[in-house]
Amino acid sequence: MNRLTQIFAILVFVSTISLAQGFKVKASGEKSFTFFDQYGKNQVTFFSRTPLEDITGTASAIKGGVKFDVSNFSTLSGKITIDVASMKTGIDMRDEHMRSAGWLDAEKYPEISFEIKSVSGISKSADNRLTGKVLGAYTMHGVTKDVAADFNVTYLDENEQTKMRAPGDLLGVRASFNVKLSDYGVSHMVIGNKVADEIEVSVNVIGYIQ
Amino acid sequence: MNKKQRSIIFAAAGIILISLIIWGIFGFEIFTKTQVLVEEKDELFGMIRKVWIDKFIWGLDLSLVISGFTVVVGGILTFLFRTKKLKSN
Repeated sequence: MNRLTQIFAILVFVSTISLAQGFKVKASGEKSFTFFDQYGKNQVTFFSRTPLEDITGTASAIKGGVKFDVSNFSTLSGKITIDVASMKTGIDMRDEHMRSAGWLDAEKYPEISFEIKSVSGISKSADNRLTGKVLGAYTMHGVTKDVAADFNVTYLDENEQTKMRAPGDLLGVRASFNVKLSDYGVSHMVIGNKVADEIEVSVNVIGYIQ
Repeated sequence: MNKKQRSIIFAAAGIILISLIIWGIFGFEIFTKTQVLVEEKDELFGMIRKVWIDKFIWGLDLSLVISGFTVVVGGILTFLFRTKKLKSN
């Protein structure tokens, strides 16, 4: 390899390292976080427009986790799942209908999941905060499709404030995306009230270090 | 229409009107609820999470059920209390 090629190779290598977007925190190396929350604070919310009354619901039985290299967030991998049975909208009859075989069919498809495939457009808004887009395999009602979500993650090194919540580092994750019910074979009639095909999903979870 | 029938109709109208007024007081919600969502801020991350709290909200559906029941009962009572024709010999 001649000198020019060697210099070019070194420049490419250095620029790759410097462009790798990650957190600038005390922690380093690969870290794993679980979203299983014994404090019951983690939740996913969903919003749907209907002609009569808009519906806002929550799901709280969240499982799964992520792992990534603190200095290079594009290494992010992991999965998050919610129990369909934990979803509620404030009206018991409507919730029962939502979990029934004619809608989400909680008995046959007890979980909804999002498995991370890749991360892109990472931008640093603070030393411990990153934003970007994550592409994942979203599975609902037995159907899996790729969905892109906007995310905002905050890394907190363990300190006196975080210790009051839980031991170890904490990871705050906010994400949002839309899904079309018809793409997953889900009808969108709830007790005669047509629900919008597109549902807005928001994720607000805290990861606890493993 | 006799006096009793008139009283029944006024009472039924009053019940329906009261149920609609109560519906208005509770904010003109379409569906009756027993829990509502309130926002709670996570001090550590600044996240806003939604929390369910027990709160009864009177909805239009409840007013309609009460009104329907009142109309049916009022109708039956109005019929029962009709002025009966005396049988002539």
